[in-house]
Amino acid sequence: MVQDNFLGNYTSCVAARSTNRGILAGSQDGGIATGLLAFALEQGIIDGAIVSMVDPSEPWKPMPFVATSPEELYFARGTRYSLSPNLALIKEATRSYGLDKVGIVGTPCQMQGLRKGQLYPIGLRDVPDKIALAVGIFCMENFPYQSIIQLVEDHGNTKLENVVKMDIGKGKFWIYTERGAVVQLPLKITHKYEQPGCHVCLDYVSNLADVSTGSVGTPDGWSTVFVRSKKGNDVWAKAMAAGCFETKPIEEVKPGLDLVTKLATEKITKNRKSLEERAKFGIGKGLRNPYI
Amino acid sequence: MSKVIEISPTTRHEGHSKLVLKVDDQGIIERGDWLSITPVRGIERLAVGKTYEQVPKIASRVCGICPIAHTLAAVEAMEASMGVYIPDDAYLLRIVLQCANRAHSIALHNILSLPDMYIPGTDVKINPFTPEEPVRSVAKRIQRIREIAQTIGEISGGECIHPSNPRIGGLYTNVSPRAKSKMFDLAKEGLALARDQMEFMIAVFRNYQKRDWSEVGGMQVEIPATLGYHNQGYMATDPVYGTSSLDENPRWDPARFNETRPWDWYMGEMEITDDYPNYPIGGTTPKGAKAWPQMEACSGVPLYDGQPVEVGPRARLAQFRGYDEKGTIGQQIARQMEYTDSFYKIIECLDALNTSASVLADEIPQGDGSLGWAANEAPRGSDVHLARVKDGRVQYFSMLVPTTWNFPTCSRALTGAPWQLAEVVMRGYDPCVSCATHMIVVDEKNQLVAEKLIQ
Ligand code: SF4
Ligand SMILES: [Fe+2]
Repeated sequence: MVQDNFLGNYTSCVAARSTNRGILAGSQDGGIATGLLAFALEQGIIDGAIVSMVDPSEPWKPMPFVATSPEELYFARGTRYSLSPNLALIKEATRSYGLDKVGIVGTPCQMQGLRKGQLYPIGLRDVPDKIALAVGIFCMENFPYQSIIQLVEDHGNTKLENVVKMDIGKGKFWIYTERGAVVQLPLKITHKYEQPGCHVCLDYVSNLADVSTGSVGTPDGWSTVFVRSKKGNDVWAKAMAAGCFETKPIEEVKPGLDLVTKLATEKITKNRKSLEERAKFGIGKGLRNPYI
Repeated sequence: MSKVIEISPTTRHEGHSKLVLKVDDQGIIERGDWLSITPVRGIERLAVGKTYEQVPKIASRVCGICPIAHTLAAVEAMEASMGVYIPDDAYLLRIVLQCANRAHSIALHNILSLPDMYIPGTDVKINPFTPEEPVRSVAKRIQRIREIAQTIGEISGGECIHPSNPRIGGLYTNVSPRAKSKMFDLAKEGLALARDQMEFMIAVFRNYQKRDWSEVGGMQVEIPATLGYHNQGYMATDPVYGTSSLDENPRWDPARFNETRPWDWYMGEMEITDDYPNYPIGGTTPKGAKAWPQMEACSGVPLYDGQPVEVGPRARLAQFRGYDEKGTIGQQIARQMEYTDSFYKIIECLDALNTSASVLADEIPQGDGSLGWAANEAPRGSDVHLARVKDGRVQYFSMLVPTTWNFPTCSRALTGAPWQLAEVVMRGYDPCVSCATHMIVVDEKNQLVAEKLIQ
């Protein structure tokens, strides 16, 4: 078990991608979250998963839903850079959806919320023991949906309906459209559109997930995967044995774990500072530190 | 000269109540008063001015045992006032929720009643918590039935305690096909367990009925053949679910309802003359203390056709199935007979349920202030809620809760029993006292005029 101040505890870290072309095609990077949940579904490790899909009525607006088949999971592939309140369905999944073994994908803060809910299940009666697999993603910051509209339509001069993919990487916010045009916005512009809460967030790689994954640290088309908990280990080992993923040691890929560590350190150090600043904000009435 | 004994608080039921008993020299009750000493809730006041969605949620909070009944009765009272008709599939899921709650409640009450009873063929009282057989397997079966019923309630109602899914016009959400089959499988398992449990409980109650004596707090007392008999009538509105003023032929009539003050019905001030420190648990009230039921009772005395009535399982069976075994044991057995019916009904409703149908009415009128009422057959009896909704706001709301009906009836049923068995008679009603603590004032023309806390 590796214990790292910034990357959390994990038993192994690898570069991986799905061996399923169908999954890879629509995924953000290596198709890890979709591939792992699809495997867990097929094996009965989970009987449904809370993932996000695009709200059919508004372009790129994420909306949580409960997928109970691999086909439904495929709707959920890819990243949408605004919040999907996946935890909002955590109770309902065990109620009208009738799930006993729930899988969930979420950001680091959602993993924190999930674990907190499992520890103190206020309003979550009979939910904690039904969480079977939590897949966390990497997250630097996030945008409210309104911000995405502003960034894409005003700064990017692109109609949101025409966008086929968004990405954050190499210091830029990328917008790909149907016609192939690519717009890049420097992250300097996007900063003020972030959610304020993200500026005090002290987790980059979903330290509390069973398995966490993200693109940073591995080449295009691959993902970095941290296997963290016993549960995560079991599922990952089974999925590997079943040939769901192709892996490489993280040491052998570029840019490798160093970049993940660097970004995690940057995020957390910067956010610790804003926490300190918030504590002194105003006169004698600092803002609350959510961690204490 | 009669003596006065007080058991306060009573135990092994929900809420706080007490028994004030006038007994003869042999310890036989001449007149008993059973009364609520749980403080009045004031829900009727809280409800005024709230939205129609808020009030059922607030109403359900009077109790953690019967919130299903209160949610459904309150939701349906609003619907009755507003003239909202719900889709069939919403109704089916409400019945599933109702029956799940009933099965759970019977199982819970088994645990509360068993300690008064004996293991058949022995002089050993049943301790449901003993690790020893045969009781252990019974306890496990009871807990499994509760678990099954609560899970079905959770799926159909969103929550098995204060259900979140029911709303005005139907339900927030239908269930998934998976959830439907999960409930179905659970109900099948529950049905088999409930049948065994019903047979076990009936055997235990019949055994008690055949016994000559029971031991209470070191005293051996004779069990009268007429334990818990009374001559009050029964009131039930439906074998399973309920009725409302929207029905073509409503099975309850507000015009037949009236209420008197505890002042007019309970006994006046008295001094406790006898005490028994060994009576479980913690002895009876020390002698010399004062009791004043008229002043202390925290619930009104509801009358139907001018008389207190019994509500609950026996009332339902008497009204709709021609069952009429009197007394405490007859009442307990009636309750067990509702065990399997609850699961049969769940299975029947799930069979009919279309999981892709809408469970919300297309139209929800906002109310013109007319009086609507709904009666829900809660595990322990008819739970009648009355409401007036105007332009989306509740103007008037009132709850006539099962145990409120049963307080005066049970008080009558105490007469003739040895005082040591008064609690056994009371427990036969499966009382839920905190629910039952309400005050409503009615004027001479039987019109509900105001709700008022007791002075
Ligand atoms: S940066 Fe932190 S708070 Fe913001 S979305 Fe990501 S995990 Fe949540
Ligand atoms: Fe109650």
